[in-house]
Parts: sequence; structure tokens; C-alpha cells
Amino acid sequence: MDTPRLFATPDSGPFGRRQARPRGARIPVIVVTGFLGAGKTTLIRHFLGTPEGRGTAIVVNEFGEAGIDDALLRQSTEAVSLLGNGCVCCVVRSDLQLTLRALVADRTRGAIPGFARVVIETSGLADPGPILQSFATDRALGDSFYIDAVITVADAATGAATLEAAAEARKQVILADRIVVTKTDIADPLLTTALTERIRHLNPRAAIATVINGQIDPGILLEPAPSDRSPFVAEAEHSDGIGSFVLRAGGPLPWTTFARAMDTLTALRGPDLLRVKGLLNVEGCQGPVLVEFVQHLAHLPVELQQWPEGSREGRLVFITRNISEAQVRGLFAAVSALG
Amino acid sequence: MPADSPLSRNAEPITWNFKLLAQHELGGFGGMGEGISITIAKDGRRIAWLAHESAPKNFTGVDVSDPRKPKIVVQTDLPKPYMRSNSLECSANNLMAVAYQCQKVGQQPAGMELFDVSVPENPRSISFFDTSGPHSRGVHQLWFCDGEYVHMASGAPGFEPTHPLDDQFYRCVDVRNPAKPVEVGRWWMPGTRRGDNVAPPPRHPIDKGYRAHNTNVYSRRPDRLYLCYIDGGMFIMDIADKSKPQVISHWTNSPPYTGFMHTAVPLFDRDLMLVTDESTEDAALDWPKLIWVLDLRDEKNPISISTCPLPPVDAFAKRGGRFGAHNIHENVPLPTSWKSEDIVLGTFFNGGLRAYDISNPYAPKEVGTFVPPAPNGTPAGAVQLNDVFVDERGIVYTVDRHTGGLYILEMDF
Repeated sequence: MDTPRLFATPDSGPFGRRQARPRGARIPVIVVTGFLGAGKTTLIRHFLGTPEGRGTAIVVNEFGEAGIDDALLRQSTEAVSLLGNGCVCCVVRSDLQLTLRALVADRTRGAIPGFARVVIETSGLADPGPILQSFATDRALGDSFYIDAVITVADAATGAATLEAAAEARKQVILADRIVVTKTDIADPLLTTALTERIRHLNPRAAIATVINGQIDPGILLEPAPSDRSPFVAEAEHSDGIGSFVLRAGGPLPWTTFARAMDTLTALRGPDLLRVKGLLNVEGCQGPVLVEFVQHLAHLPVELQQWPEGSREGRLVFITRNISEAQVRGLFAAVSALG
Repeated sequence: MPADSPLSRNAEPITWNFKLLAQHELGGFGGMGEGISITIAKDGRRIAWLAHESAPKNFTGVDVSDPRKPKIVVQTDLPKPYMRSNSLECSANNLMAVAYQCQKVGQQPAGMELFDVSVPENPRSISFFDTSGPHSRGVHQLWFCDGEYVHMASGAPGFEPTHPLDDQFYRCVDVRNPAKPVEVGRWWMPGTRRGDNVAPPPRHPIDKGYRAHNTNVYSRRPDRLYLCYIDGGMFIMDIADKSKPQVISHWTNSPPYTGFMHTAVPLFDRDLMLVTDESTEDAALDWPKLIWVLDLRDEKNPISISTCPLPPVDAFAKRGGRFGAHNIHENVPLPTSWKSEDIVLGTFFNGGLRAYDISNPYAPKEVGTFVPPAPNGTPAGAVQLNDVFVDERGIVYTVDRHTGGLYILEMDF
């Protein structure tokens, strides 16, 4: 930031053109994660059949997992199937990054339709962390793609038990922007209530929707997650050692202070920074700067055109494993004191 | 690429980060030129004035107050079938200048007509500026924003070019009394007029002529003319004395490129400039036709630093008609025009409308695409988006060269 900027423009700041929304012009990605048998496939199939689902590229880990009927297949290449409704289905055979880059290349050269979004269906009890990491940094996928929302699907009949048994399931709920509870029509109402309470305990900020037979409101998938808050866990006593807290800063913060503090944190405790996301009031910037970290990887900062609701207070949500709020606050204070 | 790839199928739309609000085929006369201008009528209606690519129509006024429901308010005819009024511009005081070009030299009427369009349903002719002559086809393009001077690419009665394709040059016409337009200055590329004391310039392999095309002048620098001269490249001119335009600098990419430099748009806040080529050959025979980004920190020495990335030629060459750059939104210095020095919107014929983020001018990045399906009845076989204009609300107007008429869009990036 100290280097004189050639060709400066009133509409751009240190982080490039100010964006009207966090994803800018990047391709929106919706990550659908969830428990085994929770109904991810049914939900996605229903979405693909709606007008809003038109132009979706669905990426699955194993062929057939999306449950696409053969009748829907119009043409197949090695890894990409063209579906109805302008959609494509793509199988991750080895590497998600390679798969998504190939999708963009195929779109550009005209081998597949011009999809408008990507839905990634994760397999079973996958930890969503590595997928989120794939989208951090411009060397990975962050220059072309942006995760608009992480959706976690939990079924009412077995969800509560799964949450107790599997750490990955808890992480799916904790990292979700929205949660969809399925099979409430066949589950004991008491089980549904127990699951909802457990989810709410783990992740009090994520909206919870109830869906039967996959009849999802497309908006649940398509609405971007708010950029100024993050739906992370509020409890600190979780058995996995996972907790969350919010750092707030009213006045403008020098970017170097923030960057140095986060460099230190990611270098020393990167694996325990599950996700850090929020808006900063950065010195020299007109709009809020969206920052996001997944473990040791940082997304490219994005300056937005406007602060939400007129507030100019920086809000940074940390979700960490065995890192306390006091430790992070102390680090920031120490770095600030260095000037 | 598979033979039946979506891009080679001309009916397959490609839309990325644009929202189509409306299309209007303009009453079956949807072959549009390169003049789009917006005025606000006395009653508050927002009128888009559109030049037609060729006869029989002259210009069309469309009420775009509600961009989702455009309505024709007036559509006029040309008096002769061999005329075309490819270009028009409106000033803030509801004056409209329309360019008249004929197919052959010596034909009439050729020149520029001024209208009062304050009552959109009834454009009132104020005057006609005759530029016909034995070696003139008339006016191809004009620029008119300040309500005082029309800058045009035109022939003239007494101008005999050294080559028939070099008939149109820069002329500045004073219309402060709109009833009596008067030429106050002119300039042509040395060697293009018979009798010049320098040799005529060498012809290009695809010979499109050494003549003026866009003649942009901005209120930020009323003493500067940004002039593209087709096969002659781009000239930055000092017009502080309009009677004696002086060359400040010249930049060209051809050869080795294939000429037809079209539009130059300075980005004053950033010391940059955009320069476009025009594709004129079907099936991408003149590929690549590009939007160039120039470093203009020293106007005496413009330096090309990047181009806006074209979509793959293999995907579009056979789609139908032309493929490549043409017009861009020109940051017209009027209250009804959007201004951006970070976003470039350009039309690429069958490559559609493209938006580029040039906040890093060394690495322009495409951020929006709109390629509609082939319009009904188009002889090109594919859409041929010809021109684009963005109003101050950020509403995008783009037109098809043959039948598709007007497309109205929202930017979503």
C-alpha cells in the first residue's frame, strides 16, 4: 500500500474495484454438505428442476451420487454430463480444483453451456473445511469462484444421534450458513425438536429450514450468506474444543496491523483457525473490506461499495479450536502497540 | 471443441452477470447502426434515440423510462433508399445531430441534419449541413455533446482524395446558431488528399481506407480531439484553435494487425486510453479485432499495455457474421451517460456484449457476457451486436446490426 499506484481510479481502492457484493463478478458456489442419507441428492434434484435452478453446474464426488436419472442425460464427455434445464453435472475424479478449472475452461471454449453457478455436493460425512480451503487464495480457486453459502442437510429421524456420534457432522453444522432439516414428516416430532435444539445450540445464527421430499425453496440455496456476520457456533465448551467469538473495532484499522496480526496467527495456529470472516474498517478505504481465512489460507480481500445498514464498525467472526478470544485480542493489541 | 458446441449453436444464449430486461424489435426495423443517445423530455420521459444501420429508417425514439417496457414514440424514414444514417448524437439541450451518408459519391442528400427533439413525438428539423460533392459520400459518424460543435467524419464538396476509400476526414462544425451550421476547422491525414505534398499512405492487405471514424471530444479537455482514422491508426489532436488542428501523437497497431481503428476513449482520471478496432469481415477473417488499453501518462507517447481478452475465436468464427471488437461505451460527457474508468463495455458482433474490469489495466478481466440467440430473420445467422450505451442509472442499451433491434440490460457484477 505504500507503493505509488499507477493509474489510480476513484472507483477502486488498494484491493481493486469496489464491489457491490462480496463475490463481485466471480462464479457463485453453493456447497451442500450433510449427513449420510439426509437427502442432499433429493434436494438438489428438486432444485435443478425449478426455473431458478437453470444454468447450474453440479459437482459431485462420485458419479451417480446426485442421482440424476439416465433419462436426463443428453450428452456425456469423460467427466461432464449435460442435463436438462441448461445444467451440467460433473464428477470429481481426483482434484476439486482441477475439476472446477476444467469446467470454466470448457465453458469458455463452448464445450458446455454457460452455467451461472456451481453446486458442490459433498460426500457423506465429509469435513467441509478442505473444500472451503480450496476457494481461498487466488492461486487456488478464489480468483474465479466465491462460496456464496454453505448449506448443511440434516435428517430429523437420525440427525441428533449423528451429531452426537460424529465430529464431522458437528463441524458441518458449525460451518453452515444455512441448515435444512429433512424428513420431518416421518420422524418422531420429539426427535425433530431435539435436532433443532442441538443445531441451534451449535450454530445459533444459521437459518434453519424444514423441507419434505426435497421441495426446497430455491432461495434457501441461492441467497448469498451475509458478509457482515458469520453463522458460527456461540458455545465455547464444545467437546471438540471449537468456539467462536467476535472481534469488533470501531475506528479505522491500519491494514498492516491487521495483516501482521493475522500472519502471526496463521503461522502459529493456522490449523486451529477453522474460519475467520467479516468486514473491516480499513484506513484509506471508503467501504468495508471483506476478509476471510480458512486455516492458514487467506481469501483475497474485497472492498465493498457500502457498509451494511450504515454501520462502519468492523466485525470479525472467529471460529477456532482451542484459541481463546483473549489470546486473539492480546495479539492484536500487541501488534497495534508496535505501530 | 465439439462440432455442436453451445457456442457454435447460434440459438444458444450466453448470459453471465447481465440481466436482460427487455428486447424490442422496433417494429420490424431492427437493423441498428452505431448511434445511441438518451435525452430527458420536458415531461420527464427518458428517450433513447437510435440510429438505423441502413434505409429505409432514419432514426427511432424509444421511451425507456421503464426499461422493462420500452415503447416506440417516433420512427422516421430516410428520403432516399441509398442513404444511411448510421450515427446520431444528442446534446443536453435536446438538439440531435444525425449523420447522412450515401452509397456512392455525388449522391444527395449527404451531410448532417439538426433536430429539436424536445417533443419526442415530433422531432423538428432545424437545419441541414450539406457535405455532398463529386468525391464525397457525406457523413459517416459524428460527435455532438456540448450543444455547440459537431465533430464529424465527413467528405466535402471540394475534397478529392488520393484514393476513393479516403474520402472522409475530420471536420468541426459550429452549431451555436443551429439554424446556420458553419465549418470552423478540418484536418486530414497527410497524403490522403490529391495535391498534398506527401505521398499517399501504403494500402493495407484488407484495405478499408485512410479516413476518419470516431471524433471524440470531452468537456474535461475541450482542446483535445481523440480521432480514429480507420487504417491510419489513432491521432491525439490539439484543437485549442479549432481552425488549425495539430497532431500531438499518433498510434497504430497495423500492420501487423488488420487496420480499421474505430474509437478512442480517454480515461482522464487514470491517464489511460481505450482504443477499439472494428471487425468488418465475416467468419473472423480479420481476427483478432480487439479493445486495446493504452498508457497515456504522456499523451505524446501512448503505449499499449494490454488488450481485453477476446473469447476463443474457434468458438465464434463459424457462428455467423462478424466476430470481434467494434463499439464501446464512450463515457459521453452528458448527464444521461454512465461514466466508469474501471469497467469497459464493448460489442463484439456475434461475440455479443462483453464487460471487462480494467481496475488492473495490465490484466483486463471479463466480468460480464451477453450473447442473445440469433434474432428472428437475421441474414447473418447469429446476433451481431453493433453498439452499446449505458445511461446514468447503469441501464445498458445494446443493438443488433440486422434485425434484433434494441436489448436493454442490467449490469450484475
